[in-house]
Amino acid sequence: GASGKEGKGWKKFQSYKGEGALPPDVDRLRITVDRKAQTVILPIHGFAVPFHINTIKNVSKNDEGDYTYLRINFQTPGQLAGKKEDTPFENPDATFVRSISYRSPDGHRFDNISKQITELKKEANKREQQKKELAD
Amino acid sequence: MSQPATQFDAIYYGLNSEPGKLRVAQSGMAWKGSGSDITAVPSADIKWAQWLRVARNFQLRVGVKDRKKICFDGFVREDHDKLQTLLKNYFSVALETKEVSFKGWNWGETDFQGQDLAFLVSNRVAFELPLAQVANSNIAGRTEVSLEFSNPSSKAPTKSSLDEMVEIRFHVPGAYTKPRASDAGS
Repeated sequence: GASGKEGKGWKKFQSYKGEGALPPDVDRLRITVDRKAQTVILPIHGFAVPFHINTIKNVSKNDEGDYTYLRINFQTPGQLAGKKEDTPFENPDATFVRSISYRSPDGHRFDNISKQITELKKEANKREQQKKELAD
Repeated sequence: MSQPATQFDAIYYGLNSEPGKLRVAQSGMAWKGSGSDITAVPSADIKWAQWLRVARNFQLRVGVKDRKKICFDGFVREDHDKLQTLLKNYFSVALETKEVSFKGWNWGETDFQGQDLAFLVSNRVAFELPLAQVANSNIAGRTEVSLEFSNPSSKAPTKSSLDEMVEIRFHVPGAYTKPRASDAGS
């Protein structure tokens, strides 16, 4: 029923059409980057939850004691206070996942994942930029 | 005459990291890990059953008495029909399919379902958060709610440890309600 207030300029994107397309290694209950699907799959209490790169804003990483913490920040409405919103949303009035944080004793792996996500985001931004330039 | 038990191998009980065997028989269901622990559900306690895709392939979720549920992960798609028949014949329970979202969207709606907070994308579940494991929650801003999770694993961390989710934050447009007069001005 949100069609009436569907955000202007929002272009549909989707990670997977069905469960069969999930990469098999999600069964390890670890963060998985699926470059082909432009998707990061997060383990959330036994679920394998895909998040398309378009929903991801950035990642941050920090070390604390025996653990490395990785925080994935998502695109949500109203993050640019006072600025004109330039990210269109399908339904700005929905509930959004804003961030999810994980910890692992394997800092090297989290470092690697953080780089992969950042790289994926860069590629997506670049494609978006090229599309805009072509449209002009 | 009772039928022999049907066994499913490499089945996980809950979020345990070690797989075990699940047996289904007229008398009920029993899961046995590599240790000596057995989790048994007598047939009379089985109220409902659901089938859904999770990280470790498919999950059989069984509703038992006292509004509790137990979950078994690691089934393959081909197990569905066999399970459906077993559950129907032994416990008169239908195996209901729960639809899961794989769209990859971070927006939807939250829904309290028993002891879980479910996040639904286009009316399909994307994930569930067990509220019993929420250690702390906060209204972090006008429209932001955070849930922190306790980490039950007290074991010393190793390289093979799982990625533990420690916090999730939601942007909830309607979360902010005007403070009462007594709180105003703070």
